[in-house]
Amino acid sequence: MAEEKIKLYIDNIPVEVNKGETILKAAEKAGKYIPTLCYLEDINELGACRVCVVELKDSDQIVASCTTPAQEDMQVKTNSKKVRDTRKMNMEFLLSDHDVNCTSCIRNEDCELREVAEFMGIRDIRFTGEKNHREVDKSTPSIMRDPDKCILCRRCVSVCENIQSVKAIVPDGRGFETTVNPSFYDELGDSPCVYCGQCSTVCPTGAITEVEYTEEVWDAIFDTDKHVVVQTAPAVRVGLAEAFNAEPGTIVTGQMVAALKKLGFDKVFDTNFTADLTIMEEGTELIERINNGGTLPLFTSCSPGWIKFLEHQYPEAIDHLSSCKSPQQMFGAVAKSYYAEKNNIDKEDLVVVSIMPCTAKKFEATRDEMSEDVDYSLTTRELGRMIKQAGLDIMNLEKEKHDELLGVSSGAADIFGATGGVMEAALRTAYEILTGEELKKIDFDQVRGLKGLKEASVMINDMEIKVAVAHGLGNARIILDKMKNGEEYHFVEFMACPGGCIGGGGQPLAASENVLERRMNAIYDIDRKKKLRKSHENPYIQKIYEEYFEEPGSHKAHKLLHTTYQSRGI
Amino acid sequence: MQAMEINRITSYDGFKDYKNYLGNVQKEEQATRILVGMGTCGIAAGAEEVHKAILDEIDKRNLKDIEITKTGCVGLCAKEPVIEIKQGDTSVLYGDVTPDRARELVNESIIEGNIIKEWEIGEDDSFFASQTRIVLENCGKIDPESLEEAVINNAYEGLAKAVSKMGQQEVIDELKDSKLRGRGGAGFPTGIKWQFAYDNDSDKKYVICNADEGDPGAFMDRSVLEGDPHKLLEGMAICGYAIGADEGYIYCRAEYPLAIKRLKKAINDAEELGLLGENILGSGFDFNISLRLGAGAFVCGEETALIASIEGQRGEPRPKPPFPAQSGLNGKPTIINNVETLSNVSDIISKGADWFTGFGTEDSPGTKVFALAGKIKNNGLVEIPMGTKLGEIIFDIGGGLENNGTFKAAQTGGPSGGCIPIEYLNVPIDYESLQELGTIMGSGGLIVMDEQTCMIDLAKYFVDFCKDESCGKCTPCRIGTTRMLEVLERISNGEGTLQDLDLLEEMGEVIQDSAFCGLGQTAPNPVMSTLRYFREEYEEHILDNYCEASRCASMFDSPCQNACPANVDVPLYIDFIRQGKYKQAYKVIQKENPLALICGRVCYNLCEGACNRNSIDEALAIRELKRFASDYVMKNEGGFPVPEVKEEKNKKVAVVGSGPSGLTTAFYLRKKGYDVTIFEALPVVGGMLAVGIPEYRLPKDLLNEEITVLTTMGVEIIVDTKVGEDITLKELKEQGFEALYMGVGAHQDRELNIEGKELDGVYSGVDILRDINLGKDLNMKNKKVAIVGGGNVAIDVARNMVRLGAEEVNVVYRRTLDDMPAHREEIEEAQYEQVKMNCLVNPVKIKGNNGQVQAIECVEIEGGEFDTSGRRKPKEIPGSNFTMEADVVVSAIGQNVECNFNCQEVEVEVNDSNLIETDEQLQTNLDWIFAGGDCVKGPSTVIESIKDGKDAAREIDMYLGGDGNIITEMDIERELSGPILEEEKPRVKMPTILLSERKRGFKEVEKGYSEDMAVEESRRCLRCDVEIK
Repeated sequence: MAEEKIKLYIDNIPVEVNKGETILKAAEKAGKYIPTLCYLEDINELGACRVCVVELKDSDQIVASCTTPAQEDMQVKTNSKKVRDTRKMNMEFLLSDHDVNCTSCIRNEDCELREVAEFMGIRDIRFTGEKNHREVDKSTPSIMRDPDKCILCRRCVSVCENIQSVKAIVPDGRGFETTVNPSFYDELGDSPCVYCGQCSTVCPTGAITEVEYTEEVWDAIFDTDKHVVVQTAPAVRVGLAEAFNAEPGTIVTGQMVAALKKLGFDKVFDTNFTADLTIMEEGTELIERINNGGTLPLFTSCSPGWIKFLEHQYPEAIDHLSSCKSPQQMFGAVAKSYYAEKNNIDKEDLVVVSIMPCTAKKFEATRDEMSEDVDYSLTTRELGRMIKQAGLDIMNLEKEKHDELLGVSSGAADIFGATGGVMEAALRTAYEILTGEELKKIDFDQVRGLKGLKEASVMINDMEIKVAVAHGLGNARIILDKMKNGEEYHFVEFMACPGGCIGGGGQPLAASENVLERRMNAIYDIDRKKKLRKSHENPYIQKIYEEYFEEPGSHKAHKLLHTTYQSRGI
Repeated sequence: MQAMEINRITSYDGFKDYKNYLGNVQKEEQATRILVGMGTCGIAAGAEEVHKAILDEIDKRNLKDIEITKTGCVGLCAKEPVIEIKQGDTSVLYGDVTPDRARELVNESIIEGNIIKEWEIGEDDSFFASQTRIVLENCGKIDPESLEEAVINNAYEGLAKAVSKMGQQEVIDELKDSKLRGRGGAGFPTGIKWQFAYDNDSDKKYVICNADEGDPGAFMDRSVLEGDPHKLLEGMAICGYAIGADEGYIYCRAEYPLAIKRLKKAINDAEELGLLGENILGSGFDFNISLRLGAGAFVCGEETALIASIEGQRGEPRPKPPFPAQSGLNGKPTIINNVETLSNVSDIISKGADWFTGFGTEDSPGTKVFALAGKIKNNGLVEIPMGTKLGEIIFDIGGGLENNGTFKAAQTGGPSGGCIPIEYLNVPIDYESLQELGTIMGSGGLIVMDEQTCMIDLAKYFVDFCKDESCGKCTPCRIGTTRMLEVLERISNGEGTLQDLDLLEEMGEVIQDSAFCGLGQTAPNPVMSTLRYFREEYEEHILDNYCEASRCASMFDSPCQNACPANVDVPLYIDFIRQGKYKQAYKVIQKENPLALICGRVCYNLCEGACNRNSIDEALAIRELKRFASDYVMKNEGGFPVPEVKEEKNKKVAVVGSGPSGLTTAFYLRKKGYDVTIFEALPVVGGMLAVGIPEYRLPKDLLNEEITVLTTMGVEIIVDTKVGEDITLKELKEQGFEALYMGVGAHQDRELNIEGKELDGVYSGVDILRDINLGKDLNMKNKKVAIVGGGNVAIDVARNMVRLGAEEVNVVYRRTLDDMPAHREEIEEAQYEQVKMNCLVNPVKIKGNNGQVQAIECVEIEGGEFDTSGRRKPKEIPGSNFTMEADVVVSAIGQNVECNFNCQEVEVEVNDSNLIETDEQLQTNLDWIFAGGDCVKGPSTVIESIKDGKDAAREIDMYLGGDGNIITEMDIERELSGPILEEEKPRVKMPTILLSERKRGFKEVEKGYSEDMAVEESRRCLRCDVEIK
């Protein structure tokens, strides 16, 4: 059925939209920019900040363009005196209760509040009254909150509640004292927050940010006694370019490696290598569970936000989790054992840094179960800053390759970065190992794409393997609740963030669905162009088993590559 | 009434039968009935004790066949506890009932059958007579916990009719025809709203009653819930039937436990009888009502926030559209109406839309309930037809202001509304008229304010309220209200600027335009409307650092001093009296006011009006204490202290007129060292003090005592010298006077322009007072005197006439006694002296015989529209003429100033009212001539004239090169000399002479305090000056 169309005028420009679409959408179509702060398409359409107001010509009424549906023949003014005055004063109100220490703010460069203020030409804040002051919440290793920079746009609240179903932070209090707080807790560290960092990617200011470790990493690099190795997660290579204003989906693997080398890392390895290793271990675990009547379905364990979510919200399902460490942690473990031994490096002098699209990885690196594996986990955003600080023009660097030994990987490892990727990689390997036959059609399209829940069944030997993929914790909750109601699977991939790691909380900001798609396409592009597309075919994987672990699931593998979990409660 | 066993009623006829049955039972049971008002307000006032006392007394007297019923509130909060005694056909309402009175009422009224008149509240009292009760019809009249009684009083009649005889659209059409508009605030037409919900197809719809009454001072919903819950339930059920909803919620604030209890019982009772629940009256229509308790967030009165709260979400508004009628509770079409709106529905359906539109105005039919609060006599709940004038509500129903205060403004709509100043008392109460004035109807809060309300303080209060109640979602409401409050606080702390007013206005507009919901959009209203009507008051705070109402604490030490035009440091001198240091006390007064003895007798003590003691018992007797200190020093300390004259300046200043204004200027200028000469036209010194104020209030020999202080200082006073006749302004200039102060009094009467004014026996009030004061022998023995006017001159003349032996003294005044401009105490004294006040009467003709006055023909007056002074305009009643015998008629309808000082080429500019024009520095068009007092402002009080005299001295000093500092500060530590008495203690009464003695002559009426009395009274001072600091 064709959608009902509405014709209206934005600053006298005729424009047509679907019935139910907002004035803001119409303005976008008419090519008129309207500043917004709280607005986040489909996620946060509250009309809270009141900077997107426009004037309706017939009634002189001021309305919020983000929540007001377009009406037939509506005449909208986006730049009248009244509109300017209203927007400016509301902006002054916001700034009057904002900690305006822009020069030392982590969001100095990409602060939406600053951009909107500049757009409006704010040159004076006429209010000098009371400002709210609350302590910075530094209770987690992943993300921190500075309430004095919060403008109460509620984007974080909406993402946390509606996308992630975690509800770790909520609006609290009333009136001028209103704040966004961990619900019922003083600090984020005490709350069921999973540290996914989705809030930090939508925050328009520096109120919620990753905990930065760049200075510590610089210190390690400059310390000549230290041997510093770095690993790069699959999603970073398709996200990093955005930090340098390149188009989303630009692949910069080679430039990134070159930059890392120029920064002074002693070796630049790839998390992809341990992604392949993960497939070996996890695939083996799956086969074992199926064959030996183990707990099914098996849940993937690559996403630390997802793991923490399960530990808080569904502790009874911990047995379903794969005991495999995530690729980040496997890398740390391998680097500090296999690599260190092979190169006669004292473990104490080896510093393992990881570049992740993720804020929860920082927490994962500090988990009691495996706190020695990785020393510093940086986000894509932090790496971007380090490259800038080093004065490098990344987009014009000569491409370089990851260092060998821990740097060669299959396409299966690359697709770990997108939702469904781990599942697909595992299936490629499991199929061939179980059947002993070559997989003809290597792409598992059913588990690809941005659909929130994906289900598929795969025939392996005469067995129907039922699998499911969920990304975004709200979708994870749906699967878990389905299971409670009797739905049965063999293997389920869970990723905390929408889109998987490409949409991780440590990626460059503002990932709309369109951005996610472009990053995802880039990932599958890398896979498609690789000759090596199955983890078990990676020669360096074969080598490490030969030289070190003997076989997947061996005693040594268990000691170094597997871990345990804990029930956390709410 | 006896409850009877009855099963569920399953048909319309069944309902009718049941009602008939109840009616018959009631007729048989006609017994004596005592209704005790036991709403929350009644209970708070002690109704439970009264109820118990009645039961005990009936038990003790062994009385039979008396039914005691607990009812809701009848609305007259000022008189709670209220009881009604019904015997046969008579019914009497009693107010301010105590347990003792209740016992006496049982004996007197029930056993003896007498009515105790003095406790009775007459049903024809204007409080009730001017109301039209639809919503409140049964409140206080029935037992709210009895469904039977509700049914007898027409409950569920409308519902029965709707579900049995009407289609859904028919019900909605009836509502539309009735033009009922939402009583919760914005006044959206209820029928149209219902139509939207009806038109929206859905498997589920809801009806919500908004009973989250949160406006400060509003309690009409509570009264309905407590007094007549079935009316609301019925309205909701009719709404449910009309729109197709089967479920209803009442969202009631948890602070209303009694309302909740009664609602629960009402819902249960109605369900049991089949009037709610499944298959109502066999019609197939189901409707269940449940209660939801709100935790008291003001924003939950906003419909979408209320819905969020019912759903268990944070109480925050949601974007509209979609409107609740499209997508409300749980995303289903929902009607939200408030208690009052829904309580109108049953009568509209049972009696028809035509009946309803018979009340109120064309666009706003029906009635509106208001909660009258603030500085009003009859505070309480009133229901008036739409279109009633604001002034009628305040003065007819409300009985005018408490403590004879002067009306300043009324706030409607609570914190979302605005104020209406005195100029708009004629505004008809309807949605559009109020909106035009910048306020709203709101849910019906009506707060009356008097002159002691500071409008900045008021704005602060309401903005603070909204700031606290903001849900914090949108920027303008969350931060904007805080910023507004901060600016207001700045102004109230004396740190504001005129730019702040522009900023307030700009903020107000932005918040009104862009806040998310009604709470924020209306939050600036109190600021905007006070700025609109009282901008001068804001400016006074900013420019003069002055808060006339004594509310902005940083601007004054004590309210009494702040209220005193002469700025006398009252608490300080009261404290010296308390310590027995009377001379010190006098010096403190003299510092700011050289005429302490005079003001101790004739001042109209604005200070006492501002005294904080008023809220405990009664104002401190400040004037009496001032008089005591002056008298004591004069008699016992060798006369008044004479201030030291500073170094001689050898500059001459002339003062024209020796009234209070001229004397004051002369005093301060002489103290600074100027050569001052006062020119007085009359043979006596003192101006109006000498020839206007009667001897019995201010003995002339005492007047001279304070004038002697001036002459001792070296002020020269030349009497019998009229400037303009005996000496001209030009000549004064030539004689070397470098500056001149014009302090001429208003010695000329305004002419009474009616037939017969030329007859013998017609006098002018001012003339007659002057004659008497100058010792002219006027014999009024056996004469009937009529005095026209209601001002101070009229009353002074009247009281003089009593002393001159008049047989009958009639004051004829065209407005009401309360409207008389004369001072209250003077009017009361005159009445005590048997002066008759003929109010609402106007003379039309003086009749004579042989050139001699014989009678005065008058016409009766009724109050018409309100004028800008807040009084009703006199409107003659045609054909009501009558004749009043009179041998003497005195006209005292106002005074003028004689301006014959203007002659030769030196002309002082005079305006149309024949008053001198000055700038703010009291300077006239001629730079060396300054003017103040009566000749600039028209007839003024003594203390106002003193203020002008002081200001003039300051200005003249500066004009002549001085620093303008005319006050010599005293080095006194401001501290407590004894404990502060905060418990009630009556004011020490001023002793006066007897009536017989008053009739014999002009002896001073007030005898003055003894030393003991003065010290005792002084101990009542609350020393606000110390506390505030």
